[in-house]
Amino acid sequence: MKNFLKRRSVIAFIITCLLGMFAPMLMSGYPSDIVGAPFSRPIWWNTQLPASCEFNVTAEGVSFEWTKLPPAIFSLNGQVRAEAKKEVNIIWQTPQKKYLLSSLKGQNVYWINIDARDMVFKQSIGVPLIGNGAAHLFPCAGKYSLIIQNADTASLKLMLPGGRQELLGTDQRGRDVLWLLIYGIRTSLVIGIAATLIACLLGLGFGLAAGYIGGITDALVMRTVDVLLSIPTLPILMVLAGIWGKGLWQLVLILSIFSWMGTARSVRSMVLTVRESPWIESLKALGAKRSYILWRHLVPETAPIMLANIALGVPGAILSEAGLAFLGLSDPRLISWGRMLHEAHSFGAFTEGAWWLLLPPGIGIVAVCLIFMDMGRYLEEQIDPRLSGDKNA
Amino acid sequence: MRRSWLLRRIVSSLIVLAVVLVLNFILFRIMPGDAVSTIIDPNFSPEAKARLRQLYGLDKPILQQFFIYIKQMLTFRFGLSFLSRRPVWDELISRLPSTMVLMSSSMILSAVLGIWLGIRAALNRGKFTERLVLRAGAVTSSFPSFFIQLVLLMLFARTFKIFPLRGSLSVPPPSGVIEVVADYVWHMALPVLSLTVMGFGGWALYVRNLMVRALGEDYVLMAKARGLSEHDVVYGHAFRTILPPILTILLMSVPGLVSGAVITESVFSLHGVGTFLLEAVSGNDYPSAGAAFYLLALITVTCNLLADIVYGVVDPRVRIEGHNE
Amino acid sequence: MLDIRELCVQYRDSQRHAVSSASFSLDKGSFTGLVGESGSGKSTIINAILGLLPVGAASSGEIYFNGENILHLSDAELRKIRWKKISLVPQGALNSFTPVLSIGRHIAEVLRVHMNITGNPAQQKISSLLGSVGLDTNIRDRYPHELSGGQKQRAAIALALACSPSLLLADEPTTALDVVTQSGILKLLATLRKEMGLTVLLVTHDLPMAASVCDELLVMKDGIIVEKDYSKNLVLHPKEAYTKKLIAAMMMLPNNCDGEKDSEK
Repeated sequence: MKNFLKRRSVIAFIITCLLGMFAPMLMSGYPSDIVGAPFSRPIWWNTQLPASCEFNVTAEGVSFEWTKLPPAIFSLNGQVRAEAKKEVNIIWQTPQKKYLLSSLKGQNVYWINIDARDMVFKQSIGVPLIGNGAAHLFPCAGKYSLIIQNADTASLKLMLPGGRQELLGTDQRGRDVLWLLIYGIRTSLVIGIAATLIACLLGLGFGLAAGYIGGITDALVMRTVDVLLSIPTLPILMVLAGIWGKGLWQLVLILSIFSWMGTARSVRSMVLTVRESPWIESLKALGAKRSYILWRHLVPETAPIMLANIALGVPGAILSEAGLAFLGLSDPRLISWGRMLHEAHSFGAFTEGAWWLLLPPGIGIVAVCLIFMDMGRYLEEQIDPRLSGDKNA
Repeated sequence: MRRSWLLRRIVSSLIVLAVVLVLNFILFRIMPGDAVSTIIDPNFSPEAKARLRQLYGLDKPILQQFFIYIKQMLTFRFGLSFLSRRPVWDELISRLPSTMVLMSSSMILSAVLGIWLGIRAALNRGKFTERLVLRAGAVTSSFPSFFIQLVLLMLFARTFKIFPLRGSLSVPPPSGVIEVVADYVWHMALPVLSLTVMGFGGWALYVRNLMVRALGEDYVLMAKARGLSEHDVVYGHAFRTILPPILTILLMSVPGLVSGAVITESVFSLHGVGTFLLEAVSGNDYPSAGAAFYLLALITVTCNLLADIVYGVVDPRVRIEGHNE
Repeated sequence: MLDIRELCVQYRDSQRHAVSSASFSLDKGSFTGLVGESGSGKSTIINAILGLLPVGAASSGEIYFNGENILHLSDAELRKIRWKKISLVPQGALNSFTPVLSIGRHIAEVLRVHMNITGNPAQQKISSLLGSVGLDTNIRDRYPHELSGGQKQRAAIALALACSPSLLLADEPTTALDVVTQSGILKLLATLRKEMGLTVLLVTHDLPMAASVCDELLVMKDGIIVEKDYSKNLVLHPKEAYTKKLIAAMMMLPNNCDGEKDSEK
């Protein structure tokens, strides 16, 4: 047991579980919160692009140096108070031009809501309608100023979400990719482990029945296994997911229905070899009931096989779920790594060249699969000497 | 002797097909919701629905419906698609070539590459070649397929703009037969390449193990003793003996290939049966989904049966029952 | 014809020599038996003659075949000799045929490669070869797993004689066969040798069997040839202690072919 815990994969597994379970609780906000501009790069990539910044603007306006490429968005929000008869002007001064962003009169309190993506706004300041409006407001490097004329007080926020943001960038909606990644741990693990557990239980049941009861039961179960194995897996999963439902538990059930066959076969063959052994014979001679033999003796025998099968089956379940999610056949409200890949594929990550939407979930899937495969292989190694050495009664 | 064995295999396959048909029927008609809506577009007016109900025989008892359905499936009359209003058969036929080309070319390429590398590795035991082949094979076959394909797509279609981002053919397609073929090859290059790269590893490992075992057998030494050239010994005797399991595995890899093709077509946005199934399932287009699934199951079952038959042909030990040991 | 001088063979992972300073020669047309227990090095000598020692085995000495030293020839050179001049009926013909090829294919292959005979003449030769070992012609299309032990052995002999070699090495050709089949095979070997003027080296652990068909006997123990003599002399007047032990064991067998039941007890 100690050796088991010392293995790197097990340590990684424990860390991943803890991260998946507790990180969401510790952090505030939801992964579906929009934190920035769509398709922002990770903050450490391509430092040519500007990082996001914000400015709190008062009635004096604000002035700053801008040396990088234009930000993705230009957004000004807040409140301005002034005398009703005065004309309040909000002016944007670039090294090249002066833009009159807004001209207001006739009220005491104005709510400002300026976004350079707005078509009407673009038209009003004479900027081409197509393309990044913010880019036109930041033509070159130099000194930029936001000037507010004739206002008494102002509390405005100038938000310039840059092309770079967050540790792993943002997706097509502006959500933090790192956040999504951590939230996805739970989904992948839950679906993978649950589906495999149910599949193994099914396999155990059928395998025991086929091996121990024998006869027609055996023939029936084996025929079913053959038939199920002959049906193409992904298409049937697709059909069931599409028709029955895409929710979490539906997916788990669908996945388990088509993965119990391997376990059933190995359990059955184990039962067949053990069934004739002297130790079982002596139990029968002593008058033990069938159910007693099954529960108290045969099932514990299968424990090592089951454990290894579970550890080796989880990667398969995770991959199947990821595959289905990638095809779009999972719950859209559920954050999973496969879903992230689906959205990357369908919502333009490729035209944007947004590799940070591809690599994190993909590497996450691969890493979790490798972890489970390593654990499973270790358990298998433990089984072999036991199976061959132990029961020579 | 041979007859009965063949018969048993055919009956097995027919049972699987029967199960698939029944499954299809159950799924698409006894699902929650109005039975009518699974056959007839729910957007029709109530009067149209009633008439269509009569027309489609949905007012008949379910057993009768079942037999009608079986007849339709066996004669490949799949009805109209909800989404496109075209006969499903036409849609499938237009997409089948793409899928078949994808599946067969990647299967052949990965098998050929993997077998050749496996033999080379077995002949160079302990040397660099063997270790390289085994290492490469292990790496490429352990990654999830669609992830590799997405990465390759990003790398070679976006970062280095060598290949197209999507589709089976350019829009609009070029004129002239050679140009069209070249365009098609250009579009299919990355999908086929990605499937080959992911597939050869398993082959190389498997063939290498088989060959190492075969090369250590007595009969190979005897072939050498008979003064045969190295080429004859390796290919005419050792490889010839491991051919049956190779051919079997080749045909048995088709079902996995079907799943792989569905994903690949999705990643590269190809015009194939896989994407057709996906659209149908996502859009609740039951006739199309049922037909596409049935077709894919048919391909799978046929290939499994062929695998058994070919194995019987190539390995005489299986064919002729009763050994005189 | 075959002259072995001071042959020493040592396998890669072994301390002792499999064969130490073995020397003997075979005259044309002779029928010699090489007798010894398992592990005495008999099969090693066979493998050395044909150049089939495993990778890493070290060998020294000389093997002269028709005047030429063939011990350290390259594979390409050896291929000219293998089967055409020296052929082998292997130990355990059970595994010496490629399982997926028919018997006829095996024979046709060596006919094509060594003697350039194909097509109809080849088929005729196959039929006559099978006939000469007492097998039916339809064996040609059978596969190895379909034949009985005795049939496989005869087929192996047919295959070995396909290219009319001058030297036939028979490595335990009758092990794992029942006694009746055994004697059939031995009679076959003796007959063929007379008809074709073959030189035969019969390797076995069965001294009485060897004594019954061979002219000369070589006794091997732990890689060394301890005694060589004509069969009758060896059996009647063994010189070495080991040979005496073998003879004594042989005496306990009821079917001693030499009829020496009553003497030397």
